[in-house]
This record gives sequence, structure tokens and C-alpha cells, in this order.
Amino acid sequence: MFRLLSRPLRLPAFLGPAPRPDDPQIFRFNSERAPIISDVVRRVVKHYAGQPDRLLYVLNEAGNAEVRRLASQGDMEAGEALGQWKRLVRRLGKMDEQERIDALRERVGDFAEDIAGNFDPRVYALATRIVPGVLTALMSPSEVPQQLVSGFRQLDGLVTAEGPIDKLRRLAKIGTLVLVPTHSSNLDSVALGYVLMRERLPPVVYGAGKNLFSNPLISFFMHNLGAYRVDRRISAQLYKEVLKTYSCMMIERGYHSLFFPGGTRARSGMVERRLKLGLAGTGVEAFARNQARGVTRPVYFVPATLNYALVLEAETLIEDHLKGAGQSRYIIEDDESSRWERVYKFMHKLTQLRQAMVLRFGEPIDPFCNPVDDAGRSIAPSGRPVDPASYVKRNGVVTVDPARDAGYTRELGEAVARVYQRETVILWTQLVAHILYRHLVHATPELDLFGRQRVRGQVGMPRAQLEAEVGAARDKLLAFSAAGRVQVGPVLRTQSPQHIVAEALKAWDGYHTRAVAREVGADIMIEDPNLLLFYQNRLVPLAEELATPETEAAARTITAMGGRA
Amino acid sequence: MSGKVAVVGGGAFGWGLALAAERAGRQVLMWSRRPQRAGTERVRLVASLAELAAAELVFFAVPSPYLPELADELGQHLDGGHFLVHVSRGIVGEELQTLSQVLRSRTPCRRVGALAGPLVARALAEGEPGGGIVASRFPEVQTAVRDALGGAALRIYSTDDLIGAEFASTAVGLLAMAVGFARGVGLGPATLAVMASRGMSECARIGVGLGGRVETFNGLAGYGDLIAAVADDGRPELGVGRELAAGTPLAEVGRRVGGYVEGLESARKIAAYARHSGAHAPLVLLCADVFEGKVSSQDAVAALMGRRVGGE
Repeated sequence: MFRLLSRPLRLPAFLGPAPRPDDPQIFRFNSERAPIISDVVRRVVKHYAGQPDRLLYVLNEAGNAEVRRLASQGDMEAGEALGQWKRLVRRLGKMDEQERIDALRERVGDFAEDIAGNFDPRVYALATRIVPGVLTALMSPSEVPQQLVSGFRQLDGLVTAEGPIDKLRRLAKIGTLVLVPTHSSNLDSVALGYVLMRERLPPVVYGAGKNLFSNPLISFFMHNLGAYRVDRRISAQLYKEVLKTYSCMMIERGYHSLFFPGGTRARSGMVERRLKLGLAGTGVEAFARNQARGVTRPVYFVPATLNYALVLEAETLIEDHLKGAGQSRYIIEDDESSRWERVYKFMHKLTQLRQAMVLRFGEPIDPFCNPVDDAGRSIAPSGRPVDPASYVKRNGVVTVDPARDAGYTRELGEAVARVYQRETVILWTQLVAHILYRHLVHATPELDLFGRQRVRGQVGMPRAQLEAEVGAARDKLLAFSAAGRVQVGPVLRTQSPQHIVAEALKAWDGYHTRAVAREVGADIMIEDPNLLLFYQNRLVPLAEELATPETEAAARTITAMGGRA
Repeated sequence: MSGKVAVVGGGAFGWGLALAAERAGRQVLMWSRRPQRAGTERVRLVASLAELAAAELVFFAVPSPYLPELADELGQHLDGGHFLVHVSRGIVGEELQTLSQVLRSRTPCRRVGALAGPLVARALAEGEPGGGIVASRFPEVQTAVRDALGGAALRIYSTDDLIGAEFASTAVGLLAMAVGFARGVGLGPATLAVMASRGMSECARIGVGLGGRVETFNGLAGYGDLIAAVADDGRPELGVGRELAAGTPLAEVGRRVGGYVEGLESARKIAAYARHSGAHAPLVLLCADVFEGKVSSQDAVAALMGRRVGGE
């Protein structure tokens, strides 16, 4: 019974429609699922077979890690697996090599089954129709009838998509897209999925934390829309190898994929500057493996930034950041996104704002950081096309070389991080937060970071001064934007400083549990330095250039704080 | 592609590389703007850069100011299959861009690297025992360089800290000038040691800020190379330092030692970067001022020794 409940629901396969030839690869996933899993198993087994020492080590390591984890987990799901792993660890020393390989095959098969997702075109079609409705209903139920007539335009106004979307649609037909966006919220994948749908971009497969599958309804949609499950609690090397092989194989087979290369939501609110790429790096290997067997389909990396005027989990994230717990508390089980009333309140708040979320796609690049033209060709600095296959050749012959690909992956991580800086869209709440926070730093030069974060309701900024400084900083941002260094959101671009300040105060009012800032006479009183810090952190790289002569010292302090984030 | 090796630049170092590769049994293609000597049995001088594309591994042995333009031109004939390795001690631009970054941004090549450490042209050319370090994020490039140059007498170590090795090498160029200068004004071994060590620490701090690792500065690319300079391996930077100490005007120095000296320009750039970024680098700042003639040698020694002493 437990097994039944813990497995995601699937509709009977024979009722489904047959995919059309020009459908994205994912429409064929169900018929490919079994061969993909067996290919993953074959490749992982091959990876370890022939190296008896390594094979023994990886089984031992996985066994001990899993026994430790499952014993502490202690639920029903754990019980069954725990017994299997315990038996394996006990018998491992006595097994001959063939028995160890058989044990490896079995374990890898279980891992791969657990990871592999599902895609149901009927669920996709259903989602395309109902998602805007569901989201609108969630946000402002009274408008559903009217929205039904107008085609849910409100949601369209809420979420803006920018960037080379036509080009991406074309490239999706030529090659395999690997989307690598910034990560700030658990809503990121939902927002992305919605934008892809709305902009007629193909659906993507992506690894979602297994904790997101615990809700049966979400699980049903995620599972049937191609998400695969990543269990972050499993630390075994073997599991990571299976996961890597699975994601590599999906890209090899032409499944458009999505990865958050920052790994985890940015706790500080800053745009990620150092990326390890992690699983996204398998895009490089997938390209090389395909070339080695004569499949020339290109892989395109698409950096994107997700920019929110309000972040659902802002309070939890920044508190975590300030505690320095960012990396150790990898999985936050108890943040705002797990509480329905907070999600509802957040969505409701968002509908009162226009263009509260901007998803901006950057120019696609090949796995070797070359720009790609409209026809999907890699372009060298001279402006001529360059054959991407040349990058995986040694003396003219394609080779599969993980050490080489690790080098390319590092460079790609740096290139994507640079695109993030350029394609970040500064929104009005972020700029107003920055000016207020800068004022707070200016007014409290004697305090360190932690001392300053406790200053609540003591420092006010005259509204007129706030508006003037917002206006001046906005003008500088527009100049940076014209120079292609950063992007500026629609409200900042078009509205007066007075309006921008009013909009920011309105946005903060009523969603976060504590007031961020409030009006006291002619002043704006700073109430929550933590949230101000979170929202203003997107501007850290520009802080010194945005400063006025009086606030230069404060801006330097802000930059120095950013260096540690 | 065959086992050919290409060399851009026919100066002393270019020839050192070419002859080392010849000794390792490789065919060498060399391009030089002004060839100063004839080719050998296995070193063929070519008239156009395009011909170098026949080699997989291409060495750049030209002073840093010429590298970007040559990279543009050669880059038109290369693809992702070529390995580019430079031997310059320079950096470009205000943000201290290393030359591998220039190669990467101006050519389609990604598998790039730098050769650093106490390698001198003469030892390379004549096959004397010695060693150096090849830095690249790509193990293939490290192997290719070792295969192309390494003989019984030449030990080429490797690192993946490319930025660290390039910046350490640049720093040594600057510090070698300071060593030559200090010798010229008659400072003794103890003072030289203090100056060289503190100078290297300052540069390591800046290098780490640029993305390098401190171990690289403690290895062949940093201290190893600096020890060779302090032991007077005859490199041009030492001569420049001595000339400056003797009061030779800056414009005259370059002419006397013959050719472009990276250290002068590096000192100015690193000093400007240190000022701008707030990095603590008093010795580098002093070197830059002395080299530019803003501070006299007497004042420099006084300033150097008169600084407040703190934790190392």
C-alpha cells in the first residue's frame, strides 16, 4: 500500500495519442523510458566493471552511506531498502567480482527507476489549458469569469518574458536546449514552465528535489511533465553517478533540459557569481558522446535570469544566509513555499502588481562558450562559423574525455555567470531597497553587519531624499543598460521616482510578515534591514557606481559585504 | 594533424622552444615578423601565419603588446582543435587580463595554457638541465607541451591554475627588475631576500583576488622562477633594474637592453590595479614609482626600510 502511494500516478499508456514527427523529443519519452533506464544501467556498470578496486569501493561507500541514511530516516519506505543494503554490505567481502557486478547492476537499476520521470502528452495538454486558470483563480478568484473571456491576460501582464525567444524556438528544432537560469525561489520551475508553455517553447525535463513530490497533486503534474526526481538526502557517489548518467543520456537523446547551475536557491538574494554547473555540465559530455558516435545534433546552453519584485521565501532565505547556514541547510523543508497560506498570500499580492516577475533569456551559447547564430551555427570571434565538433577532437579524431570536459565545464560556468550579470533585470523593489539600505549603512557607520541588521524602526529617510536618490540611481542604471551591462525592468524604465517609491512600499506592504519600511510623517522608517538587504543584494556589483559623493563610503561597505556572500 | 609544433615569434625564446621541440623529434613551423636566422633541418620558417594551422600545438613567444593582434590574425585559421600556449610575462588592460584570457577571447581556441617558471631561452636551445611549469585547465594541453619539449634534461611540471601561474610569472618579471635595481644600488642578500619575499606575498594576494591559488605563487611559476632571478640567470629584467639604479633614463633603458621589457608595464598596471582595488601592496606601488622615476633610489631604500613592521 505504501509503495502504491509513494509512486507517482500515471495514466494507462495505451489510451495516449501517438506523438507527431515534429513534436519535441519529450513526447516520445514514455516509449523510451525503459530503454533509457537500461542504457543508464549499462553505462554505469561499464564505468566500474574492469576496475575491481573501484567497484568494491563504490559499493561499500554506497552501502554504508545508505545504511546510515535509511536507519536515521526510519520510515516505512526506508525499512525495505535498509534490509537490502545491509545484506549487501554484509556479503560484499565474500562476493566474487561477477556477483559484485550483479549487485551493482541491481542497485543502479533501483536508483535509475527512482530517478526517471514520465511525460504524458495528455497531462501536458491539460496543464496548458488549466494552468493559467488555476493560477489566476488562486490569485484573484473574482476575476475568473472575466479572465475566461479575455484569455487570462492578467497572468500575462504579471509575468514578462524577454530575450531572443524566436531564435530559441528555431534552435529547439535544430539542437538540444539546456536552460541554465538563476535560482531564487521554489516557484522558479513553475514560472519557467508557464513561460515556456505561453511562448510556445518546448517543455523541458529537469531534476526536481524529491521533497517537492510529497504533495500528490504537484507530484502528479511534475511527474507527468517530465521532471525526474533528485533525492538530495542520498550522498552515495554511486547515486550521483547514476544521476549524472541519466541527465547526460537525456541530453544525448535530444531532450531539452533545465538545470539550476547555482545548485540551490540564492540565499543572499545576490545573482550567483560562482557556478560549478553540476549536472548542467553533462551537456558538454553529451555533446562529445554524440559526436563520437556520429550524431551531430548541437547542444545550446541558454542562460536566463528570473527576476522577482517579491520573493516568496525571502524571509527564510536571508535569515539562513545571515546565519551562515546556506550550504549546510541544503534542503529547507519548512520555508514559505511549503505553507499554502503563504503561497496564496504571495500570489494574491503579486496580482496587485504589474510586471512583478521578469524572465529574461540570454543569448544561447554552445558548450564551448561560442555565441550561436540564427541558423544554430557556432560563431568564432572572427565572425566565421566554427565547427563545435573540433573542440572534442584530438589530432582530428573525436574523443570522450571527462578531464577535458571538466575544463570546458569550468569555463562554461564562468561564461554563464557573466551572462547572469549582464542579463539581470533590476526591478523597482530592489532599487528602492538599495537606496534605503545604503542610507541605513550611511547612518550607522559604527555598526558591523550583524549590529546593523538589528536596527529596526530607528533610522528614517526623508521621502523626498529617497525619491531624489532613487531617481539619480535609476538614471545611472539606464545608462548601464544602454551600455549592455545590466537590464532595467519596465516600471523602473517608465515611471517617475515618486511612483517607483510608492510602488515598492505597496509591494512590501501586506505580504511579508514584518513591515519592510513604513511611512512616518515625511520619513520612510526602516523596519526590516534583513529584507532590505535581501532585495538590495542584486545591486551589489553596481553599488559603488550608483553612489553619490556622500554615500560612497556606505556603498564601499555594501560592496565589501557582497564579497563574502 | 601531424605531430607538428608551431611557434609564433622568432626571438630568443621562440628559438629556444623550436630547438627544444626539434630535439624531441618534432617538425617545427615558425613564423616571425622579422626572421633573424635561417631554419634548420626540422625548423621551417613560414611566410604566413595561416600555415601554422597545420600544427595542433601553437606556442606564442611574443611580447604581450603584440599578442592580441597576432591572435586575431592567426585565429582566423584555427578551430577548437588547436592548443595555444604562450610564454609571455605580461598582462593587458586595467583589469589585469591574462594572456590566456586574450587568446580565449580572440580566437576560437579554448584549450589554452601558459608556460612559466625558471625556463631561459639559452637552456632550452642548448638542452641544458632545467625545468618549468605548464599551466592549463586541460590535461591534454599539459601532456602536449610535455611531449613537445620535454627531454631527458627538461622537467615540465603541470598545474590547472592557469590564472595563478600567469600572474605569478608576471609578478616575477616585476620583482626581477626590483632585484636588479636593488643590486644596482648596492643592497645586500638579506635586504634582497626581504624585498623578494614580501614582494611575492603582495603579488600572491592580488593573484588570489584574480582567481589564482596561493600554492602556485609558492611553486615553480612564482618562487622557483624568482630564485633563478635572484641567482642571476641573466634575464633582461635584471639588466633593466641595474640600468634604472644607475640613473639611466627610462626611454634609454629599453634601447640598451634590447627589446620590450614586460616588467615596466606590468609594474604600472599592477600598481594601478592595487590602488583601485584597495589591495595592500606597498612594495609593488613603490616599485612602480621607482621605475617611472617618480621616486629616487635613495628615497626608495629609505621608504622600503622605513615602513612599519607588522605580522607577516
